[in-house]
Amino acid sequence: MTNVHSSHYGREIRVAWAIAVKDMRTYYTKPPSLMFGILFPFSLFLSFSIGTKAPLVAQIPILISQTLFFASSSIGPVVIPTERANQTFDRFLTSPVSLLSVLIGKTLAGIIYGAGISVIPVLVGIAFFGSQVISLGALLICFVLSSLAFSALGIMFASIPGQTPGQVMMPLNFVRIPLLFISGVYTPIHELPVWMQAVSMLSPLTHTVELARYATGGETFFGPTLNIAILTVYTVAFLFMGIRFHIMNQRKE
Amino acid sequence: MNNAIEAINLTKCYGDLLAVDHINFEVKKGEIFGFLGPNGAGKTTTIRMLTGISLPTEGTATIMEHDIGRHPIEAKEQMGIVPDVSNVYNELSAWDNLIFTGKLYDMPKASRGTRAEELLRMFGLYERRKEKVQGFSRGMKRRICIAMALMNRSSILFLDEPTSGLDVQSVLIIRDLIRQLNQQGLTIFLTTHNIEEASQMCDRVAIINHGKIAAIDTPEKLKRTLESLQSVEVAFEPPPQDPLKDLEKLPDASKVVKEGDKFRIFTRDPPAVLDSLWKYSQNNRLKLITVNTVGPSLEDVFVKLTGISPATEEKPDNAGRGEAERMAQRRKTR
Repeated sequence: MTNVHSSHYGREIRVAWAIAVKDMRTYYTKPPSLMFGILFPFSLFLSFSIGTKAPLVAQIPILISQTLFFASSSIGPVVIPTERANQTFDRFLTSPVSLLSVLIGKTLAGIIYGAGISVIPVLVGIAFFGSQVISLGALLICFVLSSLAFSALGIMFASIPGQTPGQVMMPLNFVRIPLLFISGVYTPIHELPVWMQAVSMLSPLTHTVELARYATGGETFFGPTLNIAILTVYTVAFLFMGIRFHIMNQRKE
Repeated sequence: MNNAIEAINLTKCYGDLLAVDHINFEVKKGEIFGFLGPNGAGKTTTIRMLTGISLPTEGTATIMEHDIGRHPIEAKEQMGIVPDVSNVYNELSAWDNLIFTGKLYDMPKASRGTRAEELLRMFGLYERRKEKVQGFSRGMKRRICIAMALMNRSSILFLDEPTSGLDVQSVLIIRDLIRQLNQQGLTIFLTTHNIEEASQMCDRVAIINHGKIAAIDTPEKLKRTLESLQSVEVAFEPPPQDPLKDLEKLPDASKVVKEGDKFRIFTRDPPAVLDSLWKYSQNNRLKLITVNTVGPSLEDVFVKLTGISPATEEKPDNAGRGEAERMAQRRKTR
């Protein structure tokens, strides 16, 4: 019998975690997750970094940020359309659990995927290229906030009614790829024209790159306080919009 | 309160399309309720609103007295759902599918394991519990899907076309299981295309067409509403000279149709026709080698109410002919 004595919030957290664990077991090794979450950011990094004059140690924060960005935002767009196609998403809608908890579970799966994979460039940087973590706190905040914000971004895009990951990845990449060019990933922000610096400030990826640079002893343009504030705003905005869009979808069902 | 499900003015619009049009019905606790209708009639839309997947445009539904719109968690705790597609997690084992379902219902760890084992044994899948479901046959996936719906010991089981596309053995297993579950007190809400299945299994059926309930009653009462479709089937030895002409002259015979070496005489009064047939055979020195009285089937009721042949789900091309002749035509093609 259902555990009627469990507290409402405790129950929602347990179910959200169960959904996250199930998604990890089921979708982490699916080809679209590997392609868009790992292969894509590493390939982009290699194509842009080969031939640059910047030392490799200075490029480690870029690889960390790109991996956080692509890996975290890829899980929602892989999981939700696949579950829609198999009608397994309906299982959540007919279970005694709120849509919010379902989406939090999916977001958690994205966070763990993004943060987990992004640990690899940190370790590789430290082990082989002499990278140093100057501020572990900043690095932790960078990982938690960025993976949360980007995972929520993926969940928000996954509200697009589609039954294959490609149907969601395509519009998502229309946003993700241009963000690479305005976020100080390949061109330092201080070298950008003033109007581009303003645009750059609006990109969440800028603040991930900056926090990763700050944590590894690099120079930053906006400073960690503004980075954290803006990433927090984006996290809340993406979560809120993602939930709203999914509720709107349910109304249209 | 004696009702497990109540639909009150339940309505669903998709833009200008009125998919379900202010329907009202109730399902009593412990009954098997059949929901029949042709494709696009609104069956699945109704089940999706009752189970909380889709929100109604208008109206409400209650599940064991819990409003699905206002108190979805309480309502959903009372139900298990088997959709028309076996929505199992192919990448997980049979065991993990059931355990995950138990987690979705926040069942304590010990009872999750006990219930999963009980169900897998009941469905004959315990020996294969560690195998990934993707290697299972369609019938086995269906059984896993039903087992998942039963994990939380729900009071109501929604089954959307549970036997559709399955082999005969799986169909029989699932029908038997549904009857057993109902005998244990579970209320069953069954949508099906299979009219014979509904006739055999359901305590009551509702026929939905164009988003509206066309009829709700017990299968036998619905059949009785079509008295004009009663008939007497007869075969003679030797065959009479001009049987159609002679038989049409019998009192109370409304229509005579030849079916192979037999004749079907449609009538509102089969006993009167039997008397006349006896006299006719005596007068013409014919031996009656077959005499059967045939009542209308639930399929006849369905066709009468929906105007659609369930075999093809298209408008019959013989719309200009009488109801009796259309019924005979359908029987010939069975």
